[in-house]
Amino acid sequence: MANATEQKPAPRFVRADGPDKVTGSGRYVADMSLTGMLHAKFRYAGVAHATIDKIDTSAAETIPGVVSVLTAADVPDVIYSPVVPDRRLFAQDVVRFEGEIIAAVAATTPEIAQQAVDAIVFEYTERPVVDDLEAAMAPDAPLVHEDWESYAVTGDTPRDRNVATFSSIAKGDADAGMAEADMVVKGRYVADGCHAAPIEPRGVLAQWEGTKVTIWTSTQVPFDARNGVCETLGLASNHVRIIVPHLGGGFGGKCGFHFEAHIAALARDARRPVKLVFSREEEFIAPDRRRESMIVDLETGLRSDGTIVARRGWVAVENGAYTADAAFFPQLAAMHVAGPYKMDNVKIDASLVYTNRQPSGSVRAPTAPQACWACESHTDELARALDMDPVEFRKKNAIDTGDTGAVGQVYDEIGMQECIEAATSAIDYGKDLPENEAIGVAIGWWPSFPGPSGAFVRLDADGLGQIVTGAQECGTGAVMTLRQLAADELGMDPEDFQIIYQDTGVGPYDTGATGSQTLLNNGRAVVDAAQQIAEQLRVHAAEQLEAAAGDIVLVDGAAHVAGSPDRSIPIPALAEVAAEGEQLLGKGSGTPPAYPDIPGMNCVGDQGVAAWAAPQFSCHAVHVRLDPDTGVTRVLNVSCAHDSGTIINPIAAHGQVEGGVMMGIGQALTEGTQYSDDGRQLNAALLEYKLQTFADLPTITTAFIQTPTTEAGPRGAKGLAEAPNVPTAAAIANGIAKLVGQPVRKLPMTAERVWEASQ
Amino acid sequence: MSDPTFTIATSVDDALAALANGARPIAGGSDLFVGARQGKAPLPESIIAIDRLAELATIEATSAGTRIGAMVNHATLMTDPTVVADFTAIADAAALVGSPATRNVGTIGGNVMNGSPAMDTGAPLVVLGATAHLQSQNGSRNVTLDELWIGPSRTSAAPDELCIGLDIPARPERSGSAYVRLEYRRAMEIAVVGAAAHVALDDSGNLAEVSVALTAVAPTILAVDGLDSLVGQSVDDSTLASVAERASEVATPISDLRASDAYRRHTVGVMARRAVDAAARRAQGEQIAVPVNRALGIGASA
Repeated sequence: MANATEQKPAPRFVRADGPDKVTGSGRYVADMSLTGMLHAKFRYAGVAHATIDKIDTSAAETIPGVVSVLTAADVPDVIYSPVVPDRRLFAQDVVRFEGEIIAAVAATTPEIAQQAVDAIVFEYTERPVVDDLEAAMAPDAPLVHEDWESYAVTGDTPRDRNVATFSSIAKGDADAGMAEADMVVKGRYVADGCHAAPIEPRGVLAQWEGTKVTIWTSTQVPFDARNGVCETLGLASNHVRIIVPHLGGGFGGKCGFHFEAHIAALARDARRPVKLVFSREEEFIAPDRRRESMIVDLETGLRSDGTIVARRGWVAVENGAYTADAAFFPQLAAMHVAGPYKMDNVKIDASLVYTNRQPSGSVRAPTAPQACWACESHTDELARALDMDPVEFRKKNAIDTGDTGAVGQVYDEIGMQECIEAATSAIDYGKDLPENEAIGVAIGWWPSFPGPSGAFVRLDADGLGQIVTGAQECGTGAVMTLRQLAADELGMDPEDFQIIYQDTGVGPYDTGATGSQTLLNNGRAVVDAAQQIAEQLRVHAAEQLEAAAGDIVLVDGAAHVAGSPDRSIPIPALAEVAAEGEQLLGKGSGTPPAYPDIPGMNCVGDQGVAAWAAPQFSCHAVHVRLDPDTGVTRVLNVSCAHDSGTIINPIAAHGQVEGGVMMGIGQALTEGTQYSDDGRQLNAALLEYKLQTFADLPTITTAFIQTPTTEAGPRGAKGLAEAPNVPTAAAIANGIAKLVGQPVRKLPMTAERVWEASQ
Repeated sequence: MSDPTFTIATSVDDALAALANGARPIAGGSDLFVGARQGKAPLPESIIAIDRLAELATIEATSAGTRIGAMVNHATLMTDPTVVADFTAIADAAALVGSPATRNVGTIGGNVMNGSPAMDTGAPLVVLGATAHLQSQNGSRNVTLDELWIGPSRTSAAPDELCIGLDIPARPERSGSAYVRLEYRRAMEIAVVGAAAHVALDDSGNLAEVSVALTAVAPTILAVDGLDSLVGQSVDDSTLASVAERASEVATPISDLRASDAYRRHTVGVMARRAVDAAARRAQGEQIAVPVNRALGIGASA
C-alpha cells in the first residue's frame, strides 16, 4: 500500500515565518517593551519539601523601585489542574519542589526585582524528600500531598496516596498465557527524566486596560493559557487575550498554563505592564513540564515458534510534585510498553507517582520514547532468547492491517509492516559491518488526536487572502502549511495568503501546538472555510460565464468552466465584484474524525488514550559505532520510515522527522536530569545538560508510507510532529546492545553507563 | 563602593599600569563573563581590556623557539601553519574548544591564566615544555606551567603581572605531538578527561623523548612522571599499555556530573595511550589531520 495515494507534487513555497526567524527581524516576548513596564522575578522555594513557617515580604517591599510583591494571600485561593487539581499559583502551607513559587515581585529593573526577591524572608521546616518511585509507593512512604483524598478529581481515576493516577490495560488472561509459554523473558528498564529545552527561555508580558488584560506569552497553547488565567484569577474569558509573538520552540515544554496569571496579577496590582523573562536555569527548574522518569518491568512469555503468548508489565511514571497534564501518562506508557504487537494475553499496570521534584508534563510524545525504549530493548532480548533475528521477530509479531492490538482495537489499513521493510532495506540491514559497528532497529506507534478547531478565511477585494486562526505555530511548520491547504482549495498560490494566528482575541478556538494536532484539526477547519469561499467564487464565476456553479473549476488563480480553460476569469476580478456585496468570508471547523469504539475494552483508569484514532506507525534503523574502550557511542546513520498518512508538506514533514531523531539521540545518549539527594537539579544548565549539536548530526533518511486513512485529517493526513521522537532511542539501544552483548538498561545510555555494562 | 570601570588599553604599558592599580585584565572574556553570569565570581570592579593589543596577538620565532602571544585566539591556533606543523597538540586542542564563537574570542593567554584543570590547551603546552612570560611594571619573568598553576583556577602570578605570551622551545627532529580528549558530543563540549603527548624518536624509530600530561583528572593539569623507562623502547602495544597504566595510576580524578572518578581514571589511560600513539605516528611523518579526535575517531567522533 506504500505511496498508494496519488498526489500532485506539493508546491514549494517560502515558509511565512521563515525570513523573520532567519534574519532576526522576528519579535519574541523578550524583545517587547511597553511604556512604564516593570520587570518580574519569582522567589522559588529552593527546597524540595518543607512546611512553610513564615514568608515575610516587608523588607522586599521597602526597596526603592519595588512596586508589587505578591504571595498566595494576594490571589484567589484556587486549586487547579486538569483531572487531578492539586496545585495553586503560589505555595500555601507546604512547598513540594525546589522550583515552586512562593512569591512574585515587580520592580522597575530586573536587578531591583532580584534584590527584592532575595530580601524575602522564607522560613521553613524540612520534610522528608520523596524521590524514589518504588519507595514512594510503599504504604508507609511520606506523602507528597497529605490531603490527596480531598482533591476534586474527575473521570475514571483510581488513586492511592502517592499514586496520583493509576491505569491498567488488560486483554485475555496474562497469568494463564504465561503458564503456557515455552520460555519467559524478564527485564527492568529505568529512564531518567529530561527536558524539552527550547531555545527560547519563556517570557510573559501582561498589560491591563480597565478590566481586560492582554498577555503576550511564550505558550504552545494560547487557549489553555487563557483558561488558566480565567480560572485562577476569576476572570471572564472575553476579558483575557493571549497573544503569542514568535515562539522560540516548545517541544511540549510550553504546553499547559504556566506563569501568565502570576504576571497578570502583578500587573494588576502594580497598575503597570509587567514582563517576565526566564533565565536558562529557570527554564530548566520552574516549568511543570519535565519529561518524566520511568521504571518499566517487563515479562513476556514466548512460544518456541517465536510468537508472543503473554505479557505482564509494571510501570512507574514520575509525576513530580504536582499533576500538570500527566494524568493520562500511565495509560499511554502502558500502551507503549505493550507496543504495536499481536498478543492475546496482556496485563500492564501503570502508576503516576508523586515525588518532590519538578512536575512532569507533555514533552514531545509524552512517555513514549522511554516506554518504547523499554519495550523495544525487551523485544530484542526476546529475539535473542529465541536465537532469531530481531527484525524477523518484529515482522512476525508486529501488527498488520486487520490485526488486533493490546487493548482489542482492530487496526484498519496501516503501514506498520511496510515501515519495517522500508527502514531496514534503506539502511541495508544485515550487511557486513566492522566489529565495533551495528544496526539497531525499533518500531513505534503514536495516536492522532482529533478535536475541535476553527479558522476563518477571507479574500479581500484585490483577491489576496487572510487565514485567521487560533492555531499556534511552535516551529513544526503546521500552521505555515495552512496556506497550502487554503490555496489548493481555491486554485491559488500559497504565497497569496497571510496568516493571522496565535491570538485568542482574534482566531477561533484551537487546542494549540500539542498532540501533533494542528494540521489534522486546524487543517480541516481551514479547508472547510476555504471551501465556502470557493463556492462563493464559483457562483460569481458561473454568472459571468453563464454556466452552472457546479461546473466551475478554480485553478491557477482563475475560474473557468470545466473543460474550457480558454475562457477564464481571474480570481481578483471575482473578488472585486464580491467585495461590493456579500464578502468572501469563510468560517470553518468541520467534524473531527471519530475515535474508534472498542467493544469490551478491559481497562482500569481509562484516561482516553487506549483507543487510538488514525494511529501512526514508525520504524527507525540506526547504524551506530561504539568506542569499546570508553563506551562513547556515535550515531552514523538513521533510516526512518513513517506511516503518518498522507504527507501534505514534504519539506516540513522531513524537518519533523529529522528534528525528532536528533531529540531522540539526545535522550538516548546524553540528556538526563541529575538530582542531588535533597531533590535539586544538578545540571540545570546547557553545559552539563548535554543537548545534541549540529556537529553530531548523523545522516538521516526518511521514507513516508502514505497509507490511505479515512478517519484522519485533510486528505488522509495523520499527525506527525511527535511520532519521530518515539523509536530513535530504542533503536540506538538495540545497536549498542548488539555491541555490548546486553542492554544498558538505563536511559540515557551515557558513555559511562555503556562502559559499565560492557565490563 | 565606587562605580565599576572598564578601560581599553592601547599599549602593554597602559595595561600594566592599570593592573598595578588593581584592575583585572580581560581578553576574550569567555571565562570572566560566563563565570560571572553563572555566579562563580562577580565581575571585577575595575577591568582593563587588552583585546586590542595587536602586539600580543602574534606568533613569532624567538632565539629559544617560538612565542605565542597571549592574545592569540583558538581559531588562529587551530589553523596557524607554525602551530599546526610544530606544536600540533595545541592545534588539536584549540580545534576542540567550544564553538566557532568561543574559539574566535577565547585566547591562549586567558586560557592559561584562568588555570582550569579542564582547559584543553594546557596539557599540550606542558608536554611541549612551554613557559609563561609574565610582565609587570617591575620587570618580567618566565615561569613553568607547573609553577604557575597552583590549584583549580589559581595561579602563582602576582595580581599586577600580565601574561604576555607562551614561550615554546624548538621542536626536536623526528618529533610529534597530539592531544585527544574524551567528550560526549562534538561541539560546545568541555573535556571529561584529556591527554597530550609529545614524542621524539631516535634514528631507529624508538622513543628518544616521551612526555604526557592529563586534563581534568587532578586539581591542575597533571604531567605524568615515571615514563623515563620507556625511552629507548619501540612504540608498540606493550609501551602504549604502560603509558595507559601509568596515566591511570597518577590521576587523582573526582566524581562529578560529567563522570565518576573510576571512569575518569580508566578513560584518561585510554586517552594517554591514544595521544602517545598519534604523537609517535606524527613523529614518523604520518599526516594526521587536526584535530586528532576527528581524524582518528576518538571521543564523540567514535
